[in-house]
Amino acid sequence: MALLEVQGVTKEYQLGKTIVRALRGLDLEIEQGEAVAIMGPSGSGKSTLMHILGALDRPTDGRAAVDGTDIRTLREPQLVALRGQRIGFVFQTFNLIQTLTALRNVELPMIFQGVRRAQRHERARRLLERVGLGDRVRHKPNELSGGERQRVAIARALANDPEIILADEPTGNLDTETGESILSLLKDLNANEGKTIILVTHDPDAAAIADRIVRLRDGRVVSTADRERRA
Amino acid sequence: MFGEFLRFAGQNILHRRLRSWLTVIGVFIGITAVVALISIGLGLERTVNEEIKGVFGDTEFVIVDEDAFGQGHSTGEVDQYAVDLEYLLSVDGVRTAAVVATRNGFALGPVQADGSQQAAFPVVTGLSSALVTEFASFIGELDLANGRGFEEGEVYVAILGSRMAEKLGASVGDTFVIGGDLDAEYEFQLVGILAMPDDDSENESSGFSFGGTVDRDGLYVPFEAMSLLWPNDNSVQVTLVAVNEGEDVNAIADEVEEELNDRGSSVTAITYQDISDVVGTMTDAIFAFLAGIAGISLLVGAVGVMNTMFTSVLERTKEIGVMKSVGAKNAHVWAIFLIESGLIGLVGGLVGTVAGLALDVVGSLIISSVTSVTLAIVISPTLIALTLLFSFLLGAVAGLWPAWRASRLPVVDALRYE
Repeated sequence: MALLEVQGVTKEYQLGKTIVRALRGLDLEIEQGEAVAIMGPSGSGKSTLMHILGALDRPTDGRAAVDGTDIRTLREPQLVALRGQRIGFVFQTFNLIQTLTALRNVELPMIFQGVRRAQRHERARRLLERVGLGDRVRHKPNELSGGERQRVAIARALANDPEIILADEPTGNLDTETGESILSLLKDLNANEGKTIILVTHDPDAAAIADRIVRLRDGRVVSTADRERRA
Repeated sequence: MFGEFLRFAGQNILHRRLRSWLTVIGVFIGITAVVALISIGLGLERTVNEEIKGVFGDTEFVIVDEDAFGQGHSTGEVDQYAVDLEYLLSVDGVRTAAVVATRNGFALGPVQADGSQQAAFPVVTGLSSALVTEFASFIGELDLANGRGFEEGEVYVAILGSRMAEKLGASVGDTFVIGGDLDAEYEFQLVGILAMPDDDSENESSGFSFGGTVDRDGLYVPFEAMSLLWPNDNSVQVTLVAVNEGEDVNAIADEVEEELNDRGSSVTAITYQDISDVVGTMTDAIFAFLAGIAGISLLVGAVGVMNTMFTSVLERTKEIGVMKSVGAKNAHVWAIFLIESGLIGLVGGLVGTVAGLALDVVGSLIISSVTSVTLAIVISPTLIALTLLFSFLLGAVAGLWPAWRASRLPVVDALRYE
């Protein structure tokens, strides 16, 4: 059974008086430990798909399952638990909380899971060291560079040790060199820690770290291409 | 988790320092006014109670005509009533009793050098000797210009108001006649003349000040003389009763009141507690009204908190989305915003309480310095605790709606918000 499974999923939004059909009967399966890049032009439904895969949103129709459980059947608290425990998000604009230090930003998901103070403190510190920011724990986001912020965001995504990392244009706001270091960090998480990585991107270089590239157009999958794993 | 949310709230308040302080000011002005008014009210109540207690003590009560208490008598004329002193003294627990009675009498001065005698129709006031010895707090010091007061066992002695003494041409040591009911006429020795009051006004009492009609035209005799002068009249104006230490003054007062009423007198027995209750009701009503007005500014403060919280929710929409995407439940988001608005209220309450108490101290000192009353400064821990609790709740209630709105934001919409 696939870790993530989407069958005939449609998603419609009401935008004023018009109905926008972001996904139109989309099928996709993602296995445990895979690194998948989702590509496609603007408006192709990439972000909507990511929201559904990440249990942030429910499909209008069709089946979207995590480990065989259709998220449409889950109530809000169960969706929250799913997001909090099994999925980590990395956003294009980092989405760190400006008033909190790097350490506290990483602790945030653990706070909501009720992890004890000493334990989450220790884990957050280790995760920041893991992403190369051991000396920046007390810095607030506005005291960090773009690359550093994205590293904090990755550390935060790893806070509750989720199986799935969903990254939405993680290099979109970074220069090439910094972007590469972020991609290699994500690749490393996939290759060495077995995390399932789903990367939504425009950037072919970013997609190059994936095992498989899924291309979308007009809310449907138009092609799926397996890539050779890079060494 | 609550501790963490408290930290979030504190950090957010500090992060938006200026706006937070402006909101706090909105709360603190109302709290200051309420705390100051209630504290001054409490001080006033305590001052009045202490004054009353200074007069009554815990062991004394007063019996007056039932219309004289609580009916807003202001004429100074108090109806008289019949009293049986022997009965009063026989009541269990009663230590002593004293009465004041007044009647319209006739006085004929001593024979002058030219053989003439001056006549007058003074108000004759009969005073128990116990009044001076046991109830000094009620009648004040006997302020005599000449002579002395009554002594135990004396009957045919009198004290005159200064102008009455002049009118009758009497000096201390002289003998003069007082006429009462029908043919009752007795000779009395003038033993003292009351001092002239400092103030020259007509109504100013001199020395004795109990009973309402005492002035410089007065004539005072021992109460025992009254029954000689008016043998058929046992009515009195005021009765003062002292009970033994440790007795329940209220219970005895009730018992005496009931018995006297059963005997046909319409009287009421007033204890310290009764007056204190009336004063308390009055001051409570006045200050509840004033505090109510001050409460309106609290309402304005609460609207300020609500406004700030709505702005905060709007500004932090994306942050709410992020929190939800990393596992925050609706209840977590709700709690974070609610604690934040409660904290704004609490800080406003803290600052307001300190400012209100300071205003109370300053206000009480000013009142004490411009009036003859030394107003007690009351700092009530209950008031402080209730104010702080109330201000936190005020903030929290004002934040309920914004926090609810924040918690209900759909996560995807919140994340997309720019």
